[in-house]
Amino acid sequence: MEDIFEFIKKIEFEIDEIDEGMLQPETNYREMEGWSSMLGLIFIALIDTEYDVTINGEELINCATIQDLYDVVKAKKQ
Amino acid sequence: MSTPFHLHNKVILVTGASSGIGKQIAISANEMGADVIITGRSKERLEETFKSLKKGNNGQLIADLQNQEELNQLVESLPELDGIVHCAGIVKPFPIKFLTQEKITETFDVNYSIQLLLMAQISRKKKLKKNASIVFSSSISAAHPHKGGALYSGSKAALESFSKVIVLEFSYLKVRSNCIASAMVKTPMYEYAQQQGTKEQMDEHVNKYPLGVGLPEDVSNAAVFLLSDASRWMTGQTITLDGGFLLGDF
Ligand SMILES: NC(=O)c1ccc[n+]([C@@H]2O[C@H](COP(=O)([O-])OP(=O)(O)OC[C@H]3O[C@@H](n4cnc5c(N)ncnc54)[C@H](OP(=O)(O)O)[C@@H]3O)[C@@H](O)[C@H]2O)c1
Repeated sequence: MEDIFEFIKKIEFEIDEIDEGMLQPETNYREMEGWSSMLGLIFIALIDTEYDVTINGEELINCATIQDLYDVVKAKKQ
Repeated sequence: MSTPFHLHNKVILVTGASSGIGKQIAISANEMGADVIITGRSKERLEETFKSLKKGNNGQLIADLQNQEELNQLVESLPELDGIVHCAGIVKPFPIKFLTQEKITETFDVNYSIQLLLMAQISRKKKLKKNASIVFSSSISAAHPHKGGALYSGSKAALESFSKVIVLEFSYLKVRSNCIASAMVKTPMYEYAQQQGTKEQMDEHVNKYPLGVGLPEDVSNAAVFLLSDASRWMTGQTITLDGGFLLGDF
């Protein structure tokens, strides 16, 4: 799987509510301004579409940072 | 028996009977006197439902209804029917931006196409009796959609339309068709929906129900009414079951 910076770039590009440069590996994305359950759904759908990995809401909530999320996707990809 | 509130002498097919609402409808219809034929994909769970049927001459038929061959076989094995309850369904929230043909096909196949194909085959094979009653398990989200509901809400709205077409096309048989639009009901699907969001979101949602969320028997009681002759002049309608949710703040 691609590295975390590519992963971040993809999220920033695909999700209109998130601007370029807003995310770092250590960003706690659920504490970002504008976080909503809809954004949660969009994260899940983006990961489903781009990486063919299904994560659920509970797994998303258990990830504090973008790095955690990346690790979950990467682990499931293997 | 002089009251029409029973299902004696009726043969009723229930799809999605291996779980949740369909399972409870099969059990309740049987308790009210019907012979039920249950279908689902999971052999184990269908058997569990079958064991809960206490009386009468019942049947169970395994079928993945997305498989045309299995659907046809199911219809071949059916007797003539006085009632059909369509409970097979899936819920997959997905935002518009990421929809693909594959996602659309998946939900519309299970929530819409198989209901149409079943009705097509059953009627063509002349297994729909005069005065038969058809019941669809719809959702309040057909008329009150939610974000991420393009697939699910859309498929249920389509189903509610289809129910009305049945009334028109089978009027010569006096077939009735109605929908039950439920809000949140505690079933395995509920657990799945909870996983798509979070427990907190679900708790927040559930707090908006004056009567709390529904149980499968809350839906099956309404289904029994729709299947019985007590509702013989009711057709083309949707009964909303929401524990007061749509009324607004309380
Ligand atoms: N629970 C709610 O809050 C709620 C609210 C409104 C409307 N509804 C509707 O009520 C219906 C039943 O819901 P539920 O909560 O009881 O769901 P559930 O517990 O998940 O049960 C769904 C049923 O559909 C069957 N099914 C799914 N795909 C199928 C396929 N390809 N072929 C044959 N059967 C298939 C399943 O069979 P297997 O398990 O054997 O695979 C299972 O018996 C659904 O149409 C749902 O949309 C539910």
